Amino acid sequence: MIRLERREHVRWWHYVSVPVVSVLLAALTGAVFLVLTGFDPVAVYAGMLRASLTSRFGLADTLVSATPLMLTGLAAAVAFRYRLYNIGAEGQLYVGAIAAAGVGLALGEIPAPLAILAVVVAGALGGALWVLLPALARAWLGTSEIITTLLLNYVALFAMRYLIFGSTSLWRDPTATNFPQGRPLPEAAEFPEWGLTRIHLGLVVALLAVVGLWWLLARTRVGFDLRVFGDSPEAARYAGIGVRRVVVGVLLLSGALAGLAGAGEVAGRAHQLDPQGLAVGVGYAGIIVAALARYNPLGVPLVAVLLGAISNAGTALQSTAELRVPVAVSTMLQGAILIFVLGGELHLRYRVRLGRGTAAPATADQAATEVVTTPETPARERPSR
Amino acid sequence: MSARPETSDDGDRPPAVAARGITKHFPGVVANADVDLTVEHGEVHALLGENGAGKTTLAAVLTGLYEPDAGEFVLAGQRHRFRSPREALAQGVGMVHQHFRLVDRFTVAENIALGDRRQPLLLSQRRLERKLGDLSERYGLEIDLGARVGDLSVGERQRVEIVKILHRGVDVLLLDEPTAVLTPQEAEALFTAVRAMAADGKAVVFITHKLGEVMAVADRVTIMRDGRVVGTVATAASDEQELAQLMVGRTVDLSPRRAQEPAGEAVLSVRDLRLDVGPAEAGQALRDLTLAVHSGEIVGVAGVAGNGQVELAEVVAGLRAPSAGQVEVGGADVTGAGVLSTRRAGLAYVPEDRLGTGLAPGLSIADNLLLTRERGFIVDRRAAKRQAEETIAAFDVKARGPSAPTGGMSGGNVQKILLARELRGTARALVVAAPTRGLDVGATAFVRGLLDDRRRNGCGILLISEDLDELRALADRIVVLYEGRIVLERPGQHADVTELGLAMAGVEVETGVST
Repeated sequence: MIRLERREHVRWWHYVSVPVVSVLLAALTGAVFLVLTGFDPVAVYAGMLRASLTSRFGLADTLVSATPLMLTGLAAAVAFRYRLYNIGAEGQLYVGAIAAAGVGLALGEIPAPLAILAVVVAGALGGALWVLLPALARAWLGTSEIITTLLLNYVALFAMRYLIFGSTSLWRDPTATNFPQGRPLPEAAEFPEWGLTRIHLGLVVALLAVVGLWWLLARTRVGFDLRVFGDSPEAARYAGIGVRRVVVGVLLLSGALAGLAGAGEVAGRAHQLDPQGLAVGVGYAGIIVAALARYNPLGVPLVAVLLGAISNAGTALQSTAELRVPVAVSTMLQGAILIFVLGGELHLRYRVRLGRGTAAPATADQAATEVVTTPETPARERPSR
Repeated sequence: MSARPETSDDGDRPPAVAARGITKHFPGVVANADVDLTVEHGEVHALLGENGAGKTTLAAVLTGLYEPDAGEFVLAGQRHRFRSPREALAQGVGMVHQHFRLVDRFTVAENIALGDRRQPLLLSQRRLERKLGDLSERYGLEIDLGARVGDLSVGERQRVEIVKILHRGVDVLLLDEPTAVLTPQEAEALFTAVRAMAADGKAVVFITHKLGEVMAVADRVTIMRDGRVVGTVATAASDEQELAQLMVGRTVDLSPRRAQEPAGEAVLSVRDLRLDVGPAEAGQALRDLTLAVHSGEIVGVAGVAGNGQVELAEVVAGLRAPSAGQVEVGGADVTGAGVLSTRRAGLAYVPEDRLGTGLAPGLSIADNLLLTRERGFIVDRRAAKRQAEETIAAFDVKARGPSAPTGGMSGGNVQKILLARELRGTARALVVAAPTRGLDVGATAFVRGLLDDRRRNGCGILLISEDLDELRALADRIVVLYEGRIVLERPGQHADVTELGLAMAGVEVETGVST
């Protein structure tokens, strides 16, 4: 008989060993599929590493892919950890991109620092604006933000497509005669790139956001109030913390972070409003990033790099002549890693025991009545700060 | 120790249950150590002990929820070891848990049939009604079979649980803290039912930590402390003081405390307070309520739950704005000024719902102690930790440390944290709701001592409680709240329970109200 037993203490190295083992097991599972489909797993994994981490340009491309993931990951982390489920980072990213591109195009050739600042601020404001209505509806009417933010993703998507494909707007390039595309941003508004790589200022913005958000949540009164609200809205009300203000504030912050991701994709990568290149699900992937990072801002960059590396490797492998591995392999690996890491979570909280023994009460709340009150019992599980 | 262990008395029938040497370990805890328990047919046997003494564990072992590590029990002369509650039920041993095991969306009839393999595939309420026969009536446990459980009051749900177990044909019925969720009236009805069951030859094990209940309902009582049995005595040959001593292991002072000096100036007053929560007069939660609490006095607010107590506390604490009237704290008008301003004016509030309202269960002790403090933009975590360590030491809180979440602590320790935070400040006026509900004797004495201490220091306290014993033990004046109105006021030491009870039930009392 297999039983799960609660861990009395979670040691710090569990937080390292469990994810590492999870990723290795996922790779092992992937290897089985690779062998079955006639590939050499060692060669494929070596190729993947080279394409995404161990070569200079591979690493650079990985960081470029990870940049928007960090920001949408933060967007999800800041909302989800306080039980506000903003599923709309995707749409907020589009609107952030539209706003950033619009401001960049409208301002034209002005001094670069000013143009870049304007683009960044516009992206954040655009994203925040797109979540404003769901935020107000949630705060005053109790409307589920899950539904409203999700539905607005489609509105944003089609609005963005309309600007390029359906109209002759400011965003559309009038000189593109074959296929409609975005008007190129003025050079002043483009994010500077690092050397010959495609790493751009967006990475710095993302890392600043990570540190800033961590500090705000872990060290300030704002973070304290949010934690109280996330844990118990009734306790927040009792303590005089404005619950509506918290709901609106958190969602706006989340939207702004997603909007920043959009600004980075426009000003740092595509240099135009590019509906096809933007609509690749980075917003939704941010939710996965946040979950794997246990909603901790400091964990977000690591996870974003990991997921960025995998998706990058997939694309690179496909185009490697000697391998010709289908891109589905990287998608499958991504899925396997997710399943194993989420499964690993269980091992953080519980240990697996074989056979019958002492302890492990029949039903949890039975034991809770008398045993949970002793100091030896483990703490309630929560996303830690 | 004056405990006088008893064995089976008249011998013509073997005991309903005889447990010998029951031992049960959990990781890091010995919940039961070599426990003996004998319960006769036709007896109400109380199992008394503080929270964590091992009562519920013993009951869980007896009903097959846990397997004991050692020990055995003999049921009607036969040795048994249950591996599941179903096996226990089949042998006539059933338990009503503190947290009900009912399906809210099912009807009463469906809940009673749930898990009963004797029931036919297709349920018929009429058939069940016939089979239940006079079961409900015989014990005064009226239930409406067609009602949806989710629509029932807590007391009604408990009756459903009891009938459900009785219907399985149990001879031994265990009730785990059955009165914890009941109003005094409902508790009285339960006692009647329990006595009727015993008169019918059933063995009833009544698990509680309330001394008054033991004296009121039990024939014999087994007292547990730290997982061991410290004695079994006949209630007729004992008294509350002795039981308390056995239970806690030392003398506990539960004697009434009053103000030493006459009350000073008013620190908290409400005038003509009205709160509309619905249309018309029926929608008024508070009706023209006027009340003053003076420095150095405790004013008790009695009443059956739902007569405006929560609303009064929330309006005073600034959590709700009144529809009409005025609230003053320390001479300053704080009507509708909000929580923060009211607190700054000198009011502290200890809500009835400790974990969830007064404290955030997932947050640490250190964070919870900051909850109602004035804080700067940067939170000084080191100072918070130090403060938490001091509080843990000063209030003798059992916790792993400042970073332990409050959600995992026992009721008494939770209340200590909450009171430590609310009493430490400079508050001159205090609103305290149900401060000792669910606490064991030791913690109750501690909390009462704290409140008395604040009174001596000139604090004015509004004590809202359904527990008349508590009000009479602490309050200098008692007012009765009925349908949002004060219907009676009495000095604390002369308050007559019958008179208070009648007023709580809404019966007009001749003598006037002076407010």
